Amino acid sequence: MNQDFVRLILILIGIAIGTFLVISLFVFIGGSKNPKRYRPGRPFHFTPVWFLSAPEQQSRAGLTAPVHSTGRELQASSARPGRAARPAETGGASDRW
Amino acid sequence: MTAGELTQDPASVSSEPAQSSSPVGRVAHVQHAAAKAHGNPEVLLGPLSSRALLRLDEALRLADASTGLTFSVYIGELREPVREDAEEMLFRLADPQHSVLVAVSPNQRVLEIVTGSVASTRILDRDCKLAALSMSAAFAGGDLGGGLVAGLAQLAEHAGRP
Repeated sequence: MNQDFVRLILILIGIAIGTFLVISLFVFIGGSKNPKRYRPGRPFHFTPVWFLSAPEQQSRAGLTAPVHSTGRELQASSARPGRAARPAETGGASDRW
Repeated sequence: MTAGELTQDPASVSSEPAQSSSPVGRVAHVQHAAAKAHGNPEVLLGPLSSRALLRLDEALRLADASTGLTFSVYIGELREPVREDAEEMLFRLADPQHSVLVAVSPNQRVLEIVTGSVASTRILDRDCKLAALSMSAAFAGGDLGGGLVAGLAQLAEHAGRP
């Protein structure tokens, strides 16, 4: 009787620990799949990128290679070019979060 | 060339790590957006997932095609003063008067929308502010890709057809 009770307790504890380990494993796997998720307020390390959908527009910017493209590809530049002249007025908006 | 093949300008390829403060550097060009995550290390190191890249690619193409303007998205650090830095980036483009730049700095939590002189007549500042509010709300929730796509769609809608 006493041995059965101890065995039952051990089984219940084993189930609880096993469930905890399985859930922890899922959480760990799920978290490592997308490590570059942005979380405001936390450091976010990434390579700066600059996207344009019109490669032929980039010739002056020095952003792109001599492109033999259809003009429909997304372009990515890892580095920012230097400063440029500012010949005209601009519009737009600014915001922070 | 097959889809997903990576092409790079030999003159622009460098072994140095990419830094936001570096001058004109490496440029990677991927033949198809769907292949970016598999073939382009530059994009892999970027802030967006492959799914977000696909959505952003589509949003940029739609915005350009429907408005006749050139939309551009920069994600990275901005030098102070950030507004002037973003404006200087706009004027790096071939036709800044007809261009719209969305510059996002996640770590600084700053968003700048810069429109060229012609683009600003089609997308008014208050329209830009509305788009900026929408985008920053998404960014505050950690959704960079979704915020950019929504913002580009709003800007393109306000710009209308050429």
